[in-house]
Amino acid sequence: MLSIAEIKRGLFSYEEASRGFIASFKDPAHLLKAAEKTKQANVKSFDCYTPCPIHGLDHAMGLHRSWIPALTFVGGILAGMLGLGYMYFIDAINWPIVYGGKPFFAWPSYVPVLFELTIYFAAVFTVVAVLVLGKLGKISRKVPAPGVTSDIFAIWLGDANLTKSDVERILSGLPAEIQEIKP
Amino acid sequence: MATEKNVYHIGKPFAAMDDDVMRPIEAFPTKLWWGAFSLSALAALIGVWTIIYSFVVGLGIFAINNPVGWGFFIVNFVFWVGIGHAGTLISAILYLFRQKWRTSINRAAEAMTIFAVIVAAIFPLIHVGRPWFVYWLFPYPNERGPLWSNFRSPLLWDLFAISTYFSVSLIFWYMGLIPDFATLRDRFERFKAKSKVGNFLLQVKGITYRALALGWVGSAKTWHHYEKMVMLLSALATPLVLSVHTIVSFDFATSVIPGWHATIFPPYFVAGAIYSGFAMVMTLMIITREVFKLKEYITMKHLENMAIVILVTGMMVSFAYTVEFVMAAYSASHIEQYAFINRLKGPFAWAFWIMFTCNVVSPHFMWFKKLRTNIKVLFVISIVVNIGMWFERFVIVIISLHRDYLPSSWDSYDPTWADYAVTVGAFGIFFTLFLMFIRTIPSIALAEVKADEANAALSQSHGAAGGH
Repeated sequence: MLSIAEIKRGLFSYEEASRGFIASFKDPAHLLKAAEKTKQANVKSFDCYTPCPIHGLDHAMGLHRSWIPALTFVGGILAGMLGLGYMYFIDAINWPIVYGGKPFFAWPSYVPVLFELTIYFAAVFTVVAVLVLGKLGKISRKVPAPGVTSDIFAIWLGDANLTKSDVERILSGLPAEIQEIKP
Repeated sequence: MATEKNVYHIGKPFAAMDDDVMRPIEAFPTKLWWGAFSLSALAALIGVWTIIYSFVVGLGIFAINNPVGWGFFIVNFVFWVGIGHAGTLISAILYLFRQKWRTSINRAAEAMTIFAVIVAAIFPLIHVGRPWFVYWLFPYPNERGPLWSNFRSPLLWDLFAISTYFSVSLIFWYMGLIPDFATLRDRFERFKAKSKVGNFLLQVKGITYRALALGWVGSAKTWHHYEKMVMLLSALATPLVLSVHTIVSFDFATSVIPGWHATIFPPYFVAGAIYSGFAMVMTLMIITREVFKLKEYITMKHLENMAIVILVTGMMVSFAYTVEFVMAAYSASHIEQYAFINRLKGPFAWAFWIMFTCNVVSPHFMWFKKLRTNIKVLFVISIVVNIGMWFERFVIVIISLHRDYLPSSWDSYDPTWADYAVTVGAFGIFFTLFLMFIRTIPSIALAEVKADEANAALSQSHGAAGGH
C-alpha cells in the first residue's frame, strides 16, 4: 500500500540545486550510469538536467511513477459531473422550456458539450499539475550548469555532507566535469 | 526499426542543431520573408478593414440572402477549421502511433492549427451580425432572465467544440514550446549588440523568452512529469481531431436541407479535413524548408509520407462523394435526387467540376514515386487540393441552400466585393501569423528532435536494454 509520505515524495520531488556539486557530461549514456551510481551511493538529494528527455533516466534515478494521469482523470470526471449538473440545473430547474416535445432533461443532446468539457478540463488539470509539480513559473531560475538546455547532460548531487572527493569517488570512471555550487 | 532510424537520423551535434533551428529567429529576416510578409499583411489589412466596415454598416454588404443565409462565411469557416485538423493529427495521433517522422514537422503543423482556428472563428463572429453580443452564447448566469443557451442546438455544440479545440491545441503547443524557449533564453544571454538600441531590443527579447520559458532548467524530475503530460494531452487531443469536424458536420446533418441531411457527413467531413489540412501542411513545409534552409530536418521522406496521407484521404473523400450520389439515387426522394442533379447540371455546376477535378483526380498523381518525390509537383498538388477543398465547402453550402424544396423559394447567390475581401483577408491573416511565428518561435520541436537522436544512439550502444 502507498503511504501518505510516499505519495508526497512522488508528487513534490523537485528540489532547487542551490548547494552541492554539479557534474557535466557530453554523452547521455554517461549520465545514465552516473544516475545509477548516485542512487546506489544512497545520495538523497540529486537530480539530472538534460536538453531532452532521456529514456530510462527516471528508472536509473529511481523516480516514483508520475501522478499526472491520476490528476488528469480527476479533472475530466469533475468537469463532466459539474457540466452535467449545470445543464440539469439550467434546463430542468431554473428555466424549463419544452423543445420539440422532448423531456426537460434530454441528456443525449448534452453528450457533445459534456464530451468537450471533459476533454477541456482534463487537459487544463494536466497542464496545471505539471506546472505545479514541476515547480515551473519561477522565471528568475538560472540553469545549474551552462549548456543543459543545449548539449550538456548534468547531474546534481546535493546532500549536505558530501565533499568533492565523495562525488569524485561516486562518479569514478566517468568523464565528468565536476563543479561546486556556491550558494 | 533500423531502417526507419537511418531515414530520420540527422546526425549533427546538438549545438549545431540549435544554430540551425534558431537561425530564423536570431538573424535579420531575408528579403524573401519581408516580401511575403508585406503581401500577406496587405491582404490581412484588406480583410480586417472589410470586417470593421461590416460592423459599422451591417451585413448588407455581403451577398447572403434568404435561401443562401450562410454564404461565404460558413464556406470559409468550415474550410479553415478543416485545415487545422492535420496539425492535431500530426502532433497527437502520430505521436500515439510512435511515428518518428512527425517530430520535425509537428511544431509548425500545430502552429498552423492554432492560426487556422483563429481565422475560422472570425467568420461566425461576423456572421452573427452583432459580434459585440457574442458572449451571450456562453451559458453564464445573466441579468437577461436568465436567458440560457440552448444545449440541444448543434450550433452551440460547435461553439464548445471550437473553443475546446482552440484552447487544448494552444496549451499543448505552448507546453511543447517551454523547453525550446529555455534554449532560446540561454542563447539570448550570450548575445551582445553593437548599438544601444540593439542591446535594448535584445534585452526585451531575452526577457520575453525568459518569461515564456517559465524557469525551465531541464530537470529530470520535471521531464518525468512532462513526458506523461505529452502522452496524456495527445490522448486527449486525439478524440478532438475526430469530434470537432464531426460536430461541424452536425450543423449541416441535423437540418432538413436536401444534400445535408445525411449520416455520412461526420466521417466525410473528418476525412476532408485531414485531406485539406495535410495539403496545407505540405504547402507551408515546402516554403519553410526552402526559405529557412531546414532541408536536413524536413526531408523528402517527410514530404513523401504526407503525400501518401493526401492520397489515402483523397480517396476517402472521393468515396464519400460517390456514396452521397448513390444514397440520393437510392433514396427514392425526388427532392434529394434533384439536389444532386443540380450539383452536376445546375447554375453552380462549374464549382462542382472544379471540386471534382481538384479533389478526386489530382491526388492520384501521388501513386507515382517520381511525382511524389518532386518538390514542384508536390507544391502544385498541395495548392490544387486546397482549392478543391474550398470548392467542396462551396458546393455543400451554396448549391444545397440555393435550391431546396419549393421552386418559389429558390434564389441565386452572387458574392460581393466584401465576400471576396474577407476570403482573401482570411488567407492574409493566416499567412501573416504563420510568417511571424517562423520569425519568433522555434519552428522545429528541438527538444523532441534531440530526444529522438539521443535515444536512438542510446539504444544502439546498449542494445534493446537501453530503451524503456
